[in-house]
Amino acid sequence: MNDIIIAGIGGQGNILLSRVICQLFMNRGFDVKSAENIGMSQRGGSVVSYIRVGDEVGPIVPDGKADILIGLEMSEAARNVNKINKDSVVVLNNKFVRPKNSDLKKQEILNLIESNISKFYILNAYDIALELDMPKAENITMLTLICKKEIFPFSKEEIMTALKLVLSPQMYEMNKILVEKIYEKY
Amino acid sequence: MKKVLMGNEAVAYSLFINGVNVAVGYPGTPSTEVIETLKDFQDDDFYVEWSTNEKVALEVAAGASLAGARTVAAMKQVGLNVAADPLLSLSVVGVEGGLIVFVADDPGPHSSQTEQDTRNFARFCNLPVFDPSSPKEAFELIKPAFEISEKYKLPVLFRMTTRVCHSNQSVEFELKREKRKIKGFRKKPEWVILPALSYKKHMELEQKLQDMKKELSVYNKVEGKGKIGIVTGGVSYFYVKEAIKGFEDLFSILKITVAHPLDEELILEFVKDKEILIFIEELDPVLEEEVKLLLFENGRIISTYGKRNGYVPFAGELDVDKVKGIFYKVLSDKRFLMKNTFTDVLQIPKRQAQLCAGCPHRNSFLIVKYATKGQDVIFTGDIGCYTLGFAKPISTTDTCLCMGASITMAQGLKITDGSKKVIAFIGDSTFFHSGITGLVNSYYNRHNITICILDNLTTGMTGFQPHPGTGKKIYGEEGRKVSIESIVKGIGVEKVLVIDPYSDFTQNVDKVREFLNNDQLGVIVFRRECANLKSREGYFKINQNCLKCKVCLNVTGCPAIDEDENGNIFIDSVLCKGCGLCKNFCPYYAIEKVMENE
Repeated sequence: MNDIIIAGIGGQGNILLSRVICQLFMNRGFDVKSAENIGMSQRGGSVVSYIRVGDEVGPIVPDGKADILIGLEMSEAARNVNKINKDSVVVLNNKFVRPKNSDLKKQEILNLIESNISKFYILNAYDIALELDMPKAENITMLTLICKKEIFPFSKEEIMTALKLVLSPQMYEMNKILVEKIYEKY
Repeated sequence: MKKVLMGNEAVAYSLFINGVNVAVGYPGTPSTEVIETLKDFQDDDFYVEWSTNEKVALEVAAGASLAGARTVAAMKQVGLNVAADPLLSLSVVGVEGGLIVFVADDPGPHSSQTEQDTRNFARFCNLPVFDPSSPKEAFELIKPAFEISEKYKLPVLFRMTTRVCHSNQSVEFELKREKRKIKGFRKKPEWVILPALSYKKHMELEQKLQDMKKELSVYNKVEGKGKIGIVTGGVSYFYVKEAIKGFEDLFSILKITVAHPLDEELILEFVKDKEILIFIEELDPVLEEEVKLLLFENGRIISTYGKRNGYVPFAGELDVDKVKGIFYKVLSDKRFLMKNTFTDVLQIPKRQAQLCAGCPHRNSFLIVKYATKGQDVIFTGDIGCYTLGFAKPISTTDTCLCMGASITMAQGLKITDGSKKVIAFIGDSTFFHSGITGLVNSYYNRHNITICILDNLTTGMTGFQPHPGTGKKIYGEEGRKVSIESIVKGIGVEKVLVIDPYSDFTQNVDKVREFLNNDQLGVIVFRRECANLKSREGYFKINQNCLKCKVCLNVTGCPAIDEDENGNIFIDSVLCKGCGLCKNFCPYYAIEKVMENE
C-alpha cells in the first residue's frame, strides 16, 4: 500500500489520523510524505489527507492511484472517488453528514461505491466511539478497526507505539484504553 | 533522529539548529507553523514573538540583524505586501546577521486573497530567493540561506508554497544547535539610508547579485539526457518526476532551486541539445520569462511551451494529472493519458465554509443584521474567520479586500454613498494589525461610519495565536494588555459600546439599533471568547414541539443544526457549543437546554 487517502469533514480528526498513519509506516522504516489542506474554517468543511509512502513523489496522490480510501464521512469519500481505481480498497465509516442544502442520499453513495469497488468495507467507527464515550475519537477508532480487520498490515502494538509518538501523554492514555477496548469488544 | 515534519516545521527545526536568535512573524495560512514550532524551542540566546503585523515583524528582525543576530521574519505572501516597505529599503541598506524572510505562497489559492508569486518580489527587490520542493529540501536549505545572507550582507527570501509548507515528510537530523557569538550593534554611517548612499548601494547590490550566482547555482540540478527539456522548480519538480515515470528517457529536467538570481551558464548548457522546452511552474511564469530572455539574448531559437502560450494554466495549483495533461497536449501523444477509472461519478455538492457552531461572531452579525432590518446598509468585511460573514444565511459582508480595509473602505463608501449606513466588521487581531490607522483616519476626517470590532480574544483562523489585546505573549506569559476601548476612546471616539454577543439577543438588538440611530462615528466591541477555546456548560436539543419549520436552521446557518433524510430537525449534541442563539428564533419553544451531565 503506497498511496492512502483519508476523506472526512473538519472536526473528525482527519489530520491527526494522517499523522498516526505516517508514523506507522515510518516505524517500519519507510520514508513518507503527506499533505492536507489547513486553513479557511475547516470545521464542518471538507478535509482530505494524502499519504504517500516513498521519497521521490509529490505530496498529492494522482487520480486513480490511491490504494486505499478511508472515508471518515461517506459523502466526502464519494467526493474523492476520482483518486481510486477498481482495485482500490474502500473503507467507510458508517456516518453520513449530508452537505447542507442538498438532497444527496446515503444510499446513492453506497450504490456508487458498491457498483465500482470489490474490496469495500463499512465500519461503525462513529457508533463505537460514541458507545465508548469518546465521540471525538472516530479517527483512532477507525484506524484500530482497519488494523484489527487486517485491512491494514499493522498490529495493535504498532498502533500503540505510533500513538505514543504522535499524541500528548494525556491523549495517549485515553486512546490507549480506546484501542484496547476495541480489540477486546469489536 | 527521524521525524515526520511538516514543511513549516522542517524550516523551524532547521532555523533553530542553525542558530537563529530572533524569530518574529504574524500568523497567516500557510506560514503560521514556522513561528508556532519555533516557540517550542528555548535557549538563552533565542527570542520569539508574534508581532502586531508583518511590517513590524520585519523591522524588529532588521534591528536584531544589525546587532549581528541571525533572524527570521515569517509571513504569508499577502503579509509580504505589508512588509514591502522595509524589505525594499533593507535590500539597499543591507543586514549584518543572517536575515531570512520566510514567505509562504498559496497557489490555488487555498486560503488567500491573491495568487501572487514571491519569486517576482525577489526580482522586484533584487534579492536572492530559495524555492525548495519538499520539507526535506527546505530543511537543508536554511543553512546556506543564512550563510549567503551573512556573506553578502543581504536579506534572503525563503519562499515556499502551500504544498511544501503543509506537506509532511520524514526528515533525519540531529537536534544540535549551532551557537554563535552576537557582536552587538556597531555604529556605521551606512545604516542611515540617504539618497546619495542609496545610489551607491544600488550599484553594489547589482554587483552582489552577479557575484552570488555561481555560488547559488549549486542548489539547482539537471537530471536526465532526453531531448525534451523541462524547466521546473518548487513542488512542481515532483509532479514532473511522477508524470514522466516510464518515459524518463525522453526528458531531461532542470530543477531551479534558486529562482533569483539565475545562473545563465547553467541554463545555456542545459538548453544546448534540447529540441523543445516545457516550463512547469506554479503562479507566475518567472522561470519561463527569465529563460526565454536569455535564449533571445544568446540568439537561440527553440520551441517553448508554458504559461505564455497557453499550455500551462496561469491560475490555480498544478498536480501530477495536470502536468501529464500538459505533456500530452505538447506531445500530442496518447501514451501519457491516464486510464479513466471511474465512469459514473456522483456530483457531491460542495460544503460551504461556515462559522463554527457556537461562534460568537454569528451572534454579533445577526444582532447587527436584525438591528438594521429594513434599512439600506452596506457591510464591509475584513480578513479572518469572520470573512465567513458573507456566507448564507448570515450574508452580512458585502466587501473584503485585505487586512484592515473594512474600516477604510467603509469611509470611501460613506463619502460616495452617504445616504446609506455603512458598518465595518473587523476582528481583534486585525484591528491591531492595521485597523487602528483606519480608525484614526475616520475620526480625523469625520467619516460617520460604525465599526464593529468582533473581539474573540484570539487570532482564530490561524490557530489561536495571542495578540496585543490578549495581553499574553507567545508562551502565554504576561505581556501588557492593550485595551481596544482605550485605544478607541484615546483617539477621541466618544460613542463606544461593549456587548457580549451571547447575552440576551433581543436586548442586544435594541441596544445596537439605538446606537445606530444617529449617523455618527461609533465603535461597538462585541466581546466573547472563541467557542473553540471554551468548554461548554451544556448544549441544546430539539424537543417534541418542533413543527419542522426550519427557522432555526435557515436563520443561523449553525453547522450543529441539521435536517435528516426524513425532514426532522436535530441538533448535533457533539457539535453544539450551547450558545443558545437558535433558541431565540424558534416560534414553538422547541429548543431546550441540556446541562452537560444530564
